[in-house]
Amino acid sequence: MASAAKKTVDAVELEIIRASLDGIVQEMQNSLFRTGFSTIIRESQDASCAIMNPQGDVIAQHVVLPLHIGAFPACCGAVIRSYDDIAEGDAFLINHPYDGGSPHAPDMAVITPVFFKGELVGFTGSIAHKSDIGGPVPGSCSGQAKETFNEGLHLPAVRYQHKFVENKEILRIVAANSRTPELVLGDIRGQLGSSRLGEQRLGELIGKFGRDNAVACFARLIELAEQRMRAAIAEWKDGRYEAERFVDDDGVDAGKPVRIHVVVEKKGDQIRFDFSGSADQTKGPANIRPPTVRAAIGYVLVSLIDPNTFINSGVLRAFDINAREGSVLNPRFPAPVNTYNPTVHALVEALYGALTDIVPDMARADGCGSRSIILGGRSTYTGKGYVQYEILGGGGGARAKKDGQSGTSVNQSNAKIAPIEIIESEFPTRVLRFELIPDSGGAGQYRGGLGIRREYLNLEDARFSIRSTKHVIAPEGAAHGGKGRTGDIIVNPDSDAAKQLPTRYADYPLKGGDQFRLLTPGGGGYGKGFARDPELVARDLNEGYVTPEGALRDYGVVAARQGDTFVVDAAATAKTRAGH
Amino acid sequence: MGQYRVTVDTGGTFSDFVYVNEETDEVSIAKIPSTPDDPSRAILAGVQLLIDKGVMPDDITYFCHGTTVGTNALLEGKGVKTGLLVTKGFRGIYEVQEQSRPHGGVIFDILYDRPSLLVPASLTAEVPERVSFEGKVLEELDEKALRAALQPLKRAEVTSVAVSLLFSFLHPKHEQRVREIVLEEMPGVEVSLSSEVVPQIREYYRLSTTVINAYLQPILARYIANLEGRLTGAGVKTRQKYIMQSNGGMSTFAATAKKAVATVLSGPAGGITASVQACRTTGLQNLITFDMGGTSCDVALIKDGEPSVSHRGKIDGRDIALPMIDINTVSAGGGTLARVDRFGALEVGPQSAGAVPGPACYGRGGTQPTITDCNLVLGYLGEDNFLGGKMKLDRKAAWAAVESVAKPLGMDVQDAAEGIVRIINVKMQEAVKAISTMRGHDLRDFHLLAFGGAGPLHSGRIAADLNMAGVIVPLFPGVYSAMGLVMSDVKHDYVRSRMTKVASVDEAFVDAQFADLVAHAREELKAEGFAESAIEIERSLDMRYAGQGYEISVPLPDKLTAGALATLRKQFDELHRSQFGHTAPHEPVEIVSYRLRGIGRVPPVKLPEFKPQGLKTPDAIREHRDMRFDGKTLSCPVYQREKLDIGATFTGPCVIDQLDCTTVVFPGQSVLVDNHKNMIITMGGA
Repeated sequence: MASAAKKTVDAVELEIIRASLDGIVQEMQNSLFRTGFSTIIRESQDASCAIMNPQGDVIAQHVVLPLHIGAFPACCGAVIRSYDDIAEGDAFLINHPYDGGSPHAPDMAVITPVFFKGELVGFTGSIAHKSDIGGPVPGSCSGQAKETFNEGLHLPAVRYQHKFVENKEILRIVAANSRTPELVLGDIRGQLGSSRLGEQRLGELIGKFGRDNAVACFARLIELAEQRMRAAIAEWKDGRYEAERFVDDDGVDAGKPVRIHVVVEKKGDQIRFDFSGSADQTKGPANIRPPTVRAAIGYVLVSLIDPNTFINSGVLRAFDINAREGSVLNPRFPAPVNTYNPTVHALVEALYGALTDIVPDMARADGCGSRSIILGGRSTYTGKGYVQYEILGGGGGARAKKDGQSGTSVNQSNAKIAPIEIIESEFPTRVLRFELIPDSGGAGQYRGGLGIRREYLNLEDARFSIRSTKHVIAPEGAAHGGKGRTGDIIVNPDSDAAKQLPTRYADYPLKGGDQFRLLTPGGGGYGKGFARDPELVARDLNEGYVTPEGALRDYGVVAARQGDTFVVDAAATAKTRAGH
Repeated sequence: MGQYRVTVDTGGTFSDFVYVNEETDEVSIAKIPSTPDDPSRAILAGVQLLIDKGVMPDDITYFCHGTTVGTNALLEGKGVKTGLLVTKGFRGIYEVQEQSRPHGGVIFDILYDRPSLLVPASLTAEVPERVSFEGKVLEELDEKALRAALQPLKRAEVTSVAVSLLFSFLHPKHEQRVREIVLEEMPGVEVSLSSEVVPQIREYYRLSTTVINAYLQPILARYIANLEGRLTGAGVKTRQKYIMQSNGGMSTFAATAKKAVATVLSGPAGGITASVQACRTTGLQNLITFDMGGTSCDVALIKDGEPSVSHRGKIDGRDIALPMIDINTVSAGGGTLARVDRFGALEVGPQSAGAVPGPACYGRGGTQPTITDCNLVLGYLGEDNFLGGKMKLDRKAAWAAVESVAKPLGMDVQDAAEGIVRIINVKMQEAVKAISTMRGHDLRDFHLLAFGGAGPLHSGRIAADLNMAGVIVPLFPGVYSAMGLVMSDVKHDYVRSRMTKVASVDEAFVDAQFADLVAHAREELKAEGFAESAIEIERSLDMRYAGQGYEISVPLPDKLTAGALATLRKQFDELHRSQFGHTAPHEPVEIVSYRLRGIGRVPPVKLPEFKPQGLKTPDAIREHRDMRFDGKTLSCPVYQREKLDIGATFTGPCVIDQLDCTTVVFPGQSVLVDNHKNMIITMGGA
């Protein structure tokens, strides 16, 4: 490998190979999206594909989920560590957060080795979220889990195919441990198909350019990605930057915020992220492991430097990290990890917070984070077990010269919303309301995006879990911008029996006829609300994004209705704004 | 003089015309500068050209038009003031859209904004009503509340209204009643119902399609009425006046005026239709169409003479859920730029030099090398014959531009030019693979049909690299879209979503689901003047494994006999395997949507067949020029296409020049001119 890396590569062939790799991962991804069985793959597209070198470093990834850039090398590394007889026709399964790098057990990786003339030249693989992999609650993500043993079936790297033949034992174990065995096996088959496709095309590519040449180009692509990041970092001003964010709680120690803290030291083309000040590992499942931490840093750096750069493991080589062992960002086995996403959002926002001074044009307030709701039961229509899984966004943070987006996925999360007509056709549920929440965007010269209100009527008894964030600690504004409104989850709202559930909660027994209301957070604002152009506030009033009370309170804007539209009272507005 | 078919494809710069004399089969073409402020002016000018030659307007018996009026209005945000009515409590469907951002760089892009709403929240009103997933009314339509909710829209002088209620595809009565009330309250507005535009499951895509229709429909209706008036005024009175749609079929003026959204992605459809015709004249049934212009390249697949169709697409980030020819577009054209970064990495595209400054060789101030500059440096393009000699290319400027990239790489200028062209070719090859091998097709069975200004320059190498059977360069590659408009049929698409488990129904049930769709399609075509014998109905089912999220369309015979569903199930498994590489024969299969296409066959035009004139092939050689192939400079002949006789054969390396296009034939490839004047290029031995 070392000798191959030294070989100088032809600039034309390098770009041809890069374009071809793009094509291959795209092909793998298309195949996976189209053939996925579960709602999660097919509607939410919670899955991604990659090509790795023989060491497990990502050479090319179709970027659907940026966090997987960290998970692939860790999963692949586990395969390499565990087997010294990897052969053509093998396929491996792994979903173990500690043996491999899955953020949590439902993220199952399928990894297949690629051979060229008998030599291992790389791997292709995919990671896709499984609807249920066992454990105490449908969907396998218990907010109250205290060990990974409460988080579903964990497969270390295991051989799932040998000589292209399925190992039925493995599949039977997986099936026996899932509430939705058909979906899980169907998804695994879809992943395998995608992997084999990639394997075939990678082999063809290597055949076309010759083994040495291709391997040298792969190495150069990783090197180039690192060089590009470092060159941009070198242009940033040197210094020490610091920021912190908090997660509501860990699901077990109720009401105790979890601190995510970062110190960034930047000198020349070196940048180091020290997370020693972050909280100790949590009892509940708010922990994330270093592969995910690295991916989150990679995500932030790419977004600040060049969103369109090509992404591979080289990006992760451009920085150093220190994540204290035993902390929430580097927990010891078997600390639970299943509800990792709130921590990643807090981490990403702490990183943006720390780096804002360096790249002020890209400053941005905090967003809504991400959440999923999971309902499980037996379908009245089919009698089969089902898991209804939805991922919801909310308001995006306002930017240095733009309002935040409303009703959107933010940061590294990017799931599609599940169509109401599909959900109602498949699950015993009815959606009652789906709209944006007025005044939920943080006030600012640029307003934060609005959160989502979604209300459901549950038609049959079902077990309900939520993994959310920012129901207690609101999204921060930037440059003196206001906070976004917090989220909420209430069962049977507007009734005497109304019950508010915690941010992350597992296994609430919903009865047929129960309703629940999910409110997702708005984004933070940028700049002072009282500095917002009153005409923009009037527009927000007319569109129903801000209420008249909110306009006065948050923006100091007095507006009166004339016919169907609000018109700013300039004199009154000037008066209320005076002195602010 | 005979009777004529006239077609016009309006582009941004030129309006391309094709005239076919139906008695002599003679085909002629014209290019007239477009008149974007009122495209019908250029259209009338083109018609006048024919009349000036002594043709009576009455003898124009067929007129077909490819228009971008709707597309442009959408891209420029110049649709009409539109209102939207949704089920009470469900404004979020439009505001949240898909929720996600597009894949790729956008996920990292802090500054990304999704496309703005075509109908603002302030012009959206809520309708109290609710229908269940089984099509049952859960809440009756509250007419009084609806009338009240309409008043602000009325006062805002909305001229078009989109209505998209939950599950309206199962129970259209609420939307229909809403339309009646809207028309009572706001006489004269146009109304688009989601249950008519696209009665299909998945509320956001249905709503988005309906909103786009409402937003554009009055504009297209006005444009068509104006055009109709002008044509009638000029004496062109034929009933056969058509507009091209995104599905590759035509629609009458009247039908298009109601379904504007069906034209929005019709731009490439004419070229594909002409390619389908090329299947008939060449006898080659499997083609990849390859349309490369200045900034982008469109590729599509035709198998057994039928283009592949997709049921959802995007324009400018907005979703349209209608059948459309499945076209894969990649940023690769003559103007695509190459550059080197500070680490010595060479990148080609996606940036383009555009019209200004354009390629360096155009002499308009461009200094970065484009694909066109490389083709000039390599000798494939000549300095003096671009656009039939109307525009002189500056080879020195092209050379200097390529040198600016070659130098930091330590490369020879011509090597760099060849490298850049190889890279752009690979990107286009990946686009071809995405629609062919990625879906289980074997490219050895396909020819590459090249058109557009730059297609034939690159087709020879791309076909060779992809191991394809050969290349076809049609007679008029520069007006190929307009050629397609001469030979299309009327195609109306219908859909109805009904989740159905295949195992729980029989053949009669499935036939029954189609019965009224079929009757409706026949009625509509008859009303448009088609005789019973000219009407064809194609049925298909969108099927999936139960719980899967993506459907595959499986074609259906006219009538299902006993056991047909079992066969269908097997067909579905097979299609799934060929497209995705695996299958699940033990999983239950469900039908999601019932699809129907009503086709009104237009009598085919007979494309002229030519006879050899006894021309000698060497006489077609205008000059010899140095050209670069695989690192070697060779002196190669330049043929003048107009001077090539039927049956002429010759071998590469060489180029063939014609007015608006240059074809490159690579070493080892050979050319045959067939009796339709197509050039058929075969790949040669290795």
